[in-house]
Amino acid sequence: MINRLSTAGTHSTAIREILKQQLQLSKTQTQVGSGSRIQSPADDPIATTRILAMEQNRASLEQYGKNADLLANRLSIGEQALADAGVLLQNVREHAIQANSGALTDADRRTIALDIRARAQELLDIANRRDGNGEYLFAGFSTQTQPFLRTGAGVTYAGDQGARMLQIGSDQRIADGFSGADVFQRITEGNGTFTTATGTHAGAGSIDSGHVTNSAAWVPGNYTLNFTTASTWEVRDAGAVLVASGNYTAGSSIGFRGVEVVVSGDPAAGDSFTMAPATKKDVFAALDALATSLEAPGTTAGGRSLITSGVNAGLTQVDQALNHLLDTRAVVGARLNAVDNAASSRQQLDDELADSVGALRDVDYAAAISRMNQQLTGLQAAQAAYSKISQLSLFNYL
Amino acid sequence: MADMLNVAVSGLRAFQRALETTSHNIANVSTPGYSRQTVNLATQTPQTFGSTTLGTGVVVSNISRFSNDLLVTQSQRASSSLNRLSAYAEKAGSLNNLFADSSTGMSASLQRFTNALQGVANTPSSTSARQVLLSEAEGLVQRLQTYDARLDEIESEVNQQLSGEASAINGITGNIAKLNREIVTAQSQSGQAPGDLLDARDQQMAALASRLDTTVVKVGDGSINVFVGNGQALVLGGTSATLVAKPDALLPTRVSLAFQSPGITVDVTSQLSGGSVGGLLDFRREMLDPVRNQLGQMAVALSAVTNAQHREGVDLAGNLGGDLFKVGAVEVLPAVGNSPTGTITATRTAAGASTAYDYVMRYNGSAWTMQRADSGAPVSFSGTGTSLDPIVADGISMVMGGTPATGDRFLVRPMAAAIKGMDVVISDPAKVAAAAPIRTAAAVANTGSATISAGEVLDVSNAQLRSSVTLQFIDATHYSVNGVGSNVYAPGDNIDINGWRVQVSGTTAVGDSFTVANNASGTGDNRNALSMATLMSTGVLSGGAESLNQAVTRFIGAVGVATNQANSSRDAQQVIYDDSQAAVDGVSGVNLDEEAANMLRYQQAYQAAAQMISVTQALFDSLLQATRR
Repeated sequence: MINRLSTAGTHSTAIREILKQQLQLSKTQTQVGSGSRIQSPADDPIATTRILAMEQNRASLEQYGKNADLLANRLSIGEQALADAGVLLQNVREHAIQANSGALTDADRRTIALDIRARAQELLDIANRRDGNGEYLFAGFSTQTQPFLRTGAGVTYAGDQGARMLQIGSDQRIADGFSGADVFQRITEGNGTFTTATGTHAGAGSIDSGHVTNSAAWVPGNYTLNFTTASTWEVRDAGAVLVASGNYTAGSSIGFRGVEVVVSGDPAAGDSFTMAPATKKDVFAALDALATSLEAPGTTAGGRSLITSGVNAGLTQVDQALNHLLDTRAVVGARLNAVDNAASSRQQLDDELADSVGALRDVDYAAAISRMNQQLTGLQAAQAAYSKISQLSLFNYL
Repeated sequence: MADMLNVAVSGLRAFQRALETTSHNIANVSTPGYSRQTVNLATQTPQTFGSTTLGTGVVVSNISRFSNDLLVTQSQRASSSLNRLSAYAEKAGSLNNLFADSSTGMSASLQRFTNALQGVANTPSSTSARQVLLSEAEGLVQRLQTYDARLDEIESEVNQQLSGEASAINGITGNIAKLNREIVTAQSQSGQAPGDLLDARDQQMAALASRLDTTVVKVGDGSINVFVGNGQALVLGGTSATLVAKPDALLPTRVSLAFQSPGITVDVTSQLSGGSVGGLLDFRREMLDPVRNQLGQMAVALSAVTNAQHREGVDLAGNLGGDLFKVGAVEVLPAVGNSPTGTITATRTAAGASTAYDYVMRYNGSAWTMQRADSGAPVSFSGTGTSLDPIVADGISMVMGGTPATGDRFLVRPMAAAIKGMDVVISDPAKVAAAAPIRTAAAVANTGSATISAGEVLDVSNAQLRSSVTLQFIDATHYSVNGVGSNVYAPGDNIDINGWRVQVSGTTAVGDSFTVANNASGTGDNRNALSMATLMSTGVLSGGAESLNQAVTRFIGAVGVATNQANSSRDAQQVIYDDSQAAVDGVSGVNLDEEAANMLRYQQAYQAAAQMISVTQALFDSLLQATRR
């Protein structure tokens, strides 16, 4: 060990210690001044990588938040359009019920038909509605293409079935709208299993939309209900094979193969009704059909029965459309709900991340200040000791 | 009586020397490298008078220097280590500071790019969102290029420092050679080397040690020989070698150190270690090159995965996307002195196989060998180097062209130039391919409840990719494709046709049909943008185990760890060096209190001797008095 000290060595050691303490003090001062424990990755590499990863995560969450706001906004705009469409259809429904009253004249019904056609046009405008960016709400991916066009044959859909998903969580994506095909076209036809229509109609019999009593017994296919006389009926399938037959009582149900239809009024012998498997029907075609049936003359018993059957079918179809809109709005509601849930879980995660980042990065002021005081004391002591010791010299006593 | 006077005078002379030495010590109390000296006294040869022996006074036998060679050597070694670590830590600190800012750093730039992709995904038809994406892509490129430029600056700082060190070393070795000559002369004249010259040479040796590890051999005539590396002589007696900084034979932008003698230069860079030179060389090899290559690797991976996904999308005009980024090619540098006819054309293969190393290719006259540039470790490869059978190893593929000569060397740097050549290829926002090329639809009239997935692209190069295809169900479990064939339907199974894949799931009915078609006018489609937004968190590096986000984070952490280690090693070495220096000082340093005591001691002795002369004078006077008549 060293058993002798040199004068220069004593001085440089003392100065070195003072410089070292100054460095530590300056480091603490920087930490307190910046509020951050870490000035560069080397200060704490492990914490730095964790902070970087968490900050990345937080930046993602912020972006997901923006996405979610946009998503909620778009869903609300879409929801408004759906609500408007619902009000329209409800209006049409009331008109149709009114039109079913026997007291109306042909002219009254034509007025109602005109009104329904006007509503159909309004509905078309809703279906072609755009959002704030000028993009069509119900066009799928083809947001710059007008989705619904009225042609001679009815309304055609020029959009597609794409659904744009927005990311609102690291693993959560939600569609921001619906394609027009889904909202306005893919509507259950008739009662969902089959549709009814009037064939030969000399008498005053009208048919309702029918319903299923036993879906297991139902064999999909085209059927014809023939009135062999004014009081007997038979049902034949597409191959003209007899399926069922019976006696007719007005207003009572006629059942075959698990389904029932109700014929009201007085059908004439030879009158017929047809039934076909239900597919999908677009709402514009349904409104057109309803209006068209109201425009038919009701001067004969057969004509009136045709109107009644047409209004029955039209009402059923409007109800299906209304239900479909309600279902779609329920989906919107569920999505908005998911957006809310995602927002709160994002917030929670963000809070946790912010806490963790803070714990890793932020200076514990109490500890830092007390450390700084300690270092100050140490530095002062070192300085005092140096100034005292450096004065010691034997030469002072000579 | 005359003897008594002589004895007293010898005392006077001796203590005058002693006081002069003390004065010399006091004067040099702050001289760096000074070793305190002391006067060694001895009795003069006694005179014999018959049976009695009488002392004849004191003589200065020599003036010796307090120095412990072992401690000095230890201190120099500690200084070499300390300076190596200091140089390393200082440079590491520059790198570390480069990545210090987390709000503008690479991680944040990457995140902003990802967020901009989400922005495009939110409103794919918005030109401004697309413009933001392109700006953020450019921002990311600029960020990487800023880093790259700073790495170049650091490299040139290292170059300048090495050049400076080389000339400083030349100055020092010149001084040592000169001191060797003076010491040899002095020692041959007086038989003893003068302490001050030895101190000066030790001082020069310490200065040399702080720059370079050396081996010192002492020679009997008092001179020393200094060697580096495998016995390259820096100083041989009175002559010194010249160390020059010159452009590296393989990498001209880099400085190498070489011994220069008339007509020949020998590159000794790989043999140098320790000291600030060793620290700079170690930093360059262990940190600068890997950091540059890792940055390049990340840029290449970013570009590769983003481009691959971007090419799978379609832009606003409905055209398939092109590349979004481009990066610089593999850099191949022929060594100075290569045959001019040999060439290597290198390209990158899979990003997952890439490494952060540079390679040296060497032609032995019949075959190529490959080794890592940093460690020299051999690398195994496949292929022979022809265009049909290229040499493939570590994510690069090389075709050897021309006729190389035996001994030709090439430096292959797969990643080093990637960022310099990096750019955003697209400038028209409409060309951002945010949409997918195909879209799917279920016929509205379908009576079954089955749905079709949105579809994904498997092979974007398939010429039929965007042709319309109709899947029509012949019965509930079989479908035809465009009216042809009968394929078994299993809900949820992959259906791969024309380079795309869809799944149909649910219950189907006869006549149900599904179409896959060109996504014409799909201005609102964001599927490809969404796919691109997930790329940064998808494993693409290290054989697919690591995402770009993770790679960036790990990279910054690694720079931090290396800097942190360099700092703590330096701090630890500082303690060792201080201790060794204190040990040297303990032996050689001047202590003023000690000198004060010595001064008093010698002064008193001098005064006593002077008194003796006075007493002799008095005695002589009394004798004269007694004999006066």
